[in-house]
Amino acid sequence: MTALLEVENLTVRFPMPKEGFFGSPSYLEAVRSVSFKVDEGKALGIVGESGSGKTTTAMATIRLEDAASGSVRFQGNDLLSLDDEGMRAARRDVQLIFQDPYSSLNPRARVSQIVREPLDLMDIGTTSERDQRVKELFKLVGLREDQLNLFPHQFSGGQRQRISIARALATNPKLIVCDEPVSALDVAIQAQILNLLAQLKEELGLSYLFISHDLGVVRHICDDVAVMYLGKIVEIGTRDDIFERPQHPYTQALLAAAPSLSRRKSKGYTRPLTLTGDPPSPINPPSGCAFAERCPRVEAVCRKDAPILADGVACHFAGPVK
Amino acid sequence: MTRLLDVSDLKVTFGTRYGTVTALDSVSFHVDQGETLGIVGESGCGKSITALSLMGLIPTPPGKIAAGSIKFLGNELIGLPPAQLRSLRGSDMAMIFQEPMTSLNPVFTVGDQIAEAITLHQKLDHENALKQAVELLDRVGIPSPEKRARDFPHQLSGGMRQRVMIAMAVSCRPKILIADEPTTALDVTVQAQIFDLLNEVQQEFGAAIILITHDMGAISEMADRVAVMYAGRIIEEGRADDILDHPQHPYTRGLISCIPSLDQTRDRLREIPGIVPPLHELGAGCAFAKRCDHAFDRCLSARPSLSAAGHHPNACFAVEEQRL
Repeated sequence: MTALLEVENLTVRFPMPKEGFFGSPSYLEAVRSVSFKVDEGKALGIVGESGSGKTTTAMATIRLEDAASGSVRFQGNDLLSLDDEGMRAARRDVQLIFQDPYSSLNPRARVSQIVREPLDLMDIGTTSERDQRVKELFKLVGLREDQLNLFPHQFSGGQRQRISIARALATNPKLIVCDEPVSALDVAIQAQILNLLAQLKEELGLSYLFISHDLGVVRHICDDVAVMYLGKIVEIGTRDDIFERPQHPYTQALLAAAPSLSRRKSKGYTRPLTLTGDPPSPINPPSGCAFAERCPRVEAVCRKDAPILADGVACHFAGPVK
Repeated sequence: MTRLLDVSDLKVTFGTRYGTVTALDSVSFHVDQGETLGIVGESGCGKSITALSLMGLIPTPPGKIAAGSIKFLGNELIGLPPAQLRSLRGSDMAMIFQEPMTSLNPVFTVGDQIAEAITLHQKLDHENALKQAVELLDRVGIPSPEKRARDFPHQLSGGMRQRVMIAMAVSCRPKILIADEPTTALDVTVQAQIFDLLNEVQQEFGAAIILITHDMGAISEMADRVAVMYAGRIIEEGRADDILDHPQHPYTRGLISCIPSLDQTRDRLREIPGIVPPLHELGAGCAFAKRCDHAFDRCLSARPSLSAAGHHPNACFAVEEQRL
């Protein structure tokens, strides 16, 4: 299988305020040398807690954030070195669905216009073809034709997310970046949207770069999973690798922390492993392993040397749960 | 076991531009000493309004407790003079809110804020109250509590702020602790810490907990008993095992099976079609009828109330007539 998207050693830096006028510039490294690939028709999930750099990674991949270094190969082109016109053309094949269906739709535009806008901007088809395409898209995402001329506020959260999906599909993309697409929705509605995304992936052969903090959602929709902690991928593998055979203590703790119906108070469930404290600040990351302070397996070497990602896991003492 | 709280036929209405809508309707439940009652439902089902009415915090107007009774250790709370309610609130019943940043005062140190809660309900001077506040911060697992007590809320992380809220809530050893989506704003590893802390606090102080959540996973981990709410009513109630293993009401069944599982991979999630109807559009029938696969003519003409038909109390005609 050919990789649709191949990201290598991607690093993203944000400038920090200088200390005084003559202070030397300092940077916060939000994403530190991240590599992954997404195959055609597959979904890669990126999971991690807030501040782990998962959204920044995705945004830098599609050049909505500037990368400091690294390469992003998409369908054979290096996206990071494309000029503006080349990038505009590439955007046909890469689209985006945002987390909040309330703030990501223009409140003053009719929804048919919102869905049509990418076609107008990319100059795809004639006017009547575009109208036809919008109707097709509405049907595809489960909206009705008589809703074409309504405004976003006349829709519920789930329906708005359907509109966002229709807009993302307008240009027939190959890859869709989904940034927490169901986090703002109630569970019953979340299931509707997840089923729709799974069905579209199947029918249209789409690839997803799927960002979520919800492990259940990722397990449901993604073929492969990358776990991020403080700007780095600490474990990456197939869905079964990560959920059935997690090797990194952080992945294991994350799985232990997520509530699940099978963990029942009445059956005497107690958590095997609880992390203490919060993730360290990315402004001054520790020189060794970033997870060392919270890790149950920590030893002296962890505080000294940062582990390198090998065989899908970055840990000096990787292994199954003890 | 002592019956701490007995709520019966509680009805709360709000005046809106659509006329008077009923946010809570015939809500009855009880809480016993030392247990955890989970109240679960989607946004707008009335779970937070339930919590606010227990605390006497319904904004009036537009809100109004129209009928029903809330008995705390046998004493009626509805219609209690504000001063008496205030002395009860915080000492016997305390609440932890969803967003710790907006429920803490940004211009006072967290130590002062906990001390304030203590001096309000106990005869202690500020200095001793502050000492007690530091002890409480230590108890809820905040490192170097003496230093942290002098911090302002913005200097703490989200998880620490929620710990401060819990310290404040347990400062007067409440009999009931109401936690309204206490971990929604937090990451999963921190959520696990807060859940573990709530369980410890319950063990140590013997408080009953009312946990309000939209997350069936949280219910499974935390609750002894569960009430499922939909459109302002309790539609199913029972022990956690009853609800999770033998859900009766089609809504509860849907709610459980639409969650993506952490432990196995499934092809397709079960969906509940449609959305929760707006409260002002509720007709005479069952509020769930339009989304329900099992609805029949009776469901459209009358609203079912909790009945003992089926495994445990639930409000569904289809269950009652054994049509499922």
